[in-house]
Amino acid sequence: MRTEAIDPPGIDWLRVSPKYVTVRLAGWALGNLIAVSLLSLPLVLVLTGVWTWPPVWLGVAIPAAWLLLALWRLLLIPRQVRSIGYAEREDDLLIRRGIFFQRTLVVPYGRMQYVDIAVGPVERPLGLCTLKLHTASATTNAEIPGLPASEGARLREQLSARGEARLAGL
Amino acid sequence: MALTPEGAGRAGADTAGNEGNVDAGWLRVHPASPFVRGWVALAALLFFFGRDSFERLLQGDPVFDERLAGRAPWLLLGGGTLLLLTVLGYVLSWYFTRYQVAGGYVRVNTGFLFKQQRQARLDRVQAIDVIQPLLARIFGLAELRFEVADAGESAVRLAYLRADEARQLRATILARASGAADGTPSPEPGQRETAAEEAPEQVVLTVPPPRLVGSLLLSEQSVAIVAGGIASVLLSAVTENRNFAVFLIPAAIGLVASYWSSFNKGYNFTAAVSPDGIRLRYGLLDTQAQTVPPGRIQALKVSQPPLWRMFGWYRVQVNVAGYGLAASAGEGSARTTLLPVGSLADVLEILSLVLPDPGTQDPLGVFTAGITGLADAAGTPSSGDGQDTDGGFVTSPRRARFLAPLGWRRNGFTATETALLLRSGRWWRSFVVVPHQRTQSMALQQGPLARRFRVADLVLHTTAGPVAPRLIQAGLDEGRALLDAQSARARAARKRQKSEHWMEPAAKPAAPPADDPQEGPHHG
Repeated sequence: MRTEAIDPPGIDWLRVSPKYVTVRLAGWALGNLIAVSLLSLPLVLVLTGVWTWPPVWLGVAIPAAWLLLALWRLLLIPRQVRSIGYAEREDDLLIRRGIFFQRTLVVPYGRMQYVDIAVGPVERPLGLCTLKLHTASATTNAEIPGLPASEGARLREQLSARGEARLAGL
Repeated sequence: MALTPEGAGRAGADTAGNEGNVDAGWLRVHPASPFVRGWVALAALLFFFGRDSFERLLQGDPVFDERLAGRAPWLLLGGGTLLLLTVLGYVLSWYFTRYQVAGGYVRVNTGFLFKQQRQARLDRVQAIDVIQPLLARIFGLAELRFEVADAGESAVRLAYLRADEARQLRATILARASGAADGTPSPEPGQRETAAEEAPEQVVLTVPPPRLVGSLLLSEQSVAIVAGGIASVLLSAVTENRNFAVFLIPAAIGLVASYWSSFNKGYNFTAAVSPDGIRLRYGLLDTQAQTVPPGRIQALKVSQPPLWRMFGWYRVQVNVAGYGLAASAGEGSARTTLLPVGSLADVLEILSLVLPDPGTQDPLGVFTAGITGLADAAGTPSSGDGQDTDGGFVTSPRRARFLAPLGWRRNGFTATETALLLRSGRWWRSFVVVPHQRTQSMALQQGPLARRFRVADLVLHTTAGPVAPRLIQAGLDEGRALLDAQSARARAARKRQKSEHWMEPAAKPAAPPADDPQEGPHHG
């Protein structure tokens, strides 16, 4: 890459399952299907003669622009998924994500209040799960999506055990 | 341990055996409390049924409308029943509200249809407030609110007690929570009853009313109002439309109300220090007394709106785990305000209360630099602390001056041995203090523009509240180093953290030096 990443040096990132791309694709397809059909509503109304205002070109341009944007984001999805990583260090868990807007998060084990595992309808057939850590801060937002179920379970146990060993108050 | 009602009963029984019946039984709140709390409902009911008849009486008409005369008894009966039911409900709710402070827990039982039993561990207290709304004050009553760390979602509330009783109970709870009262802690839960004297306190600062008024007049809100007023006058002059005045009336009412509530909340603000922590007292009609035990403050922010600079005034706000987000109207923001308006000296005083051990040789210099300082135009020397006149603050690198032409000399951080200090804002100055052992998690963030300038933001996550610590546009290398160093510092600080009982006899504070040296070099 041309530019330098913001991660601390010398960390072996564990990547999430490539199958997570499918989950993201499903979300992308559904979201954009709804958005495009809503945005095309004026066009349909104009063509059927119910509305007179938006000229046809505008009615076409708006959903087309949206679609273009969506295609751009579609191209980014595989790279975004590849950019998600996590690393267990001795005292804390690191989570990174993002290509344009990067974020590297450090959650000390002693600060974890609880660990959640969620499985969505698309994730289930793929054998994936989403792990979420909660600290006393609502803004922490530490989420690792697209983990294989077995890895998720291992990580949960591991994190709980480490959290207990290092538990501190608030 | 005593999580079940049986357990609670047993603890009570134990105490009864030891101490007599002082705290064996459960106590009830003051009988007048439902009426003080629900007076609005009663007043509305009386108004609804009474107004018509009263008006008729005044006019010399028969009490009831002739057309309704036949139905009058029914109406009367209906109203009476409703009134009776309400009062009965109040009496029942009073009867079934009971509380107990024993065995390291405070417990409150409420409700008769839907019973609720709430208990909280005393040593988990985050803050304890004594609140007196106007009506309660007239009756000499007070509400006791016991906050635990759950982002303000719930608190253990005792409404209402007699004011002196509430203060007594607060002293009891604090003495118990601090560990000051229990020479022999858990085995004898009844012990504290006798020893609960209010901890002596010493007034540190007060806010004189003229300064409060001045601060309100010069607040951001006032500036917005003046701007809005001018805009609407201009607009009405241009369009020759007088209707604007109509919209101004409700706006004015709202503004007066908002200023009034700020004034009412901030009036007679007094901060005092006692072994139990920081005591804040304020209020004109509704008074409130807060006690925040030591070490309960998660993050602190000193800020200054531009107009306050004329007088050198500052505001201090804090995050306390129990208070939660200040989103809930004026009350919340008053509770999270440690100092509504004060001079630099007042701010430093407050800082010394919150951080009794600043962890630096020159706290005055560092804090002053944090509040008002500015790096030289050449930028901070990149490494190796030479002679710095800027309190050791590391600011954004000079290359970031195109991103933040005003702020780059101001946005910066420094770390003492006990806290991370962040400052930002050239006009809207702000200075944030996060004690190391209070850091929850951290994130380094960078957008595409920031990447071009090789800078990154470091966000510290803390409990919900008005303070959102964020280091703006630190150099990439400094940011990365800080992320590592800060995790290490936070870890070390957590390890040496004392127990929740802040007054327990000397929990060997001599330990820290052992794991300090390794942190020195990380200083950024």
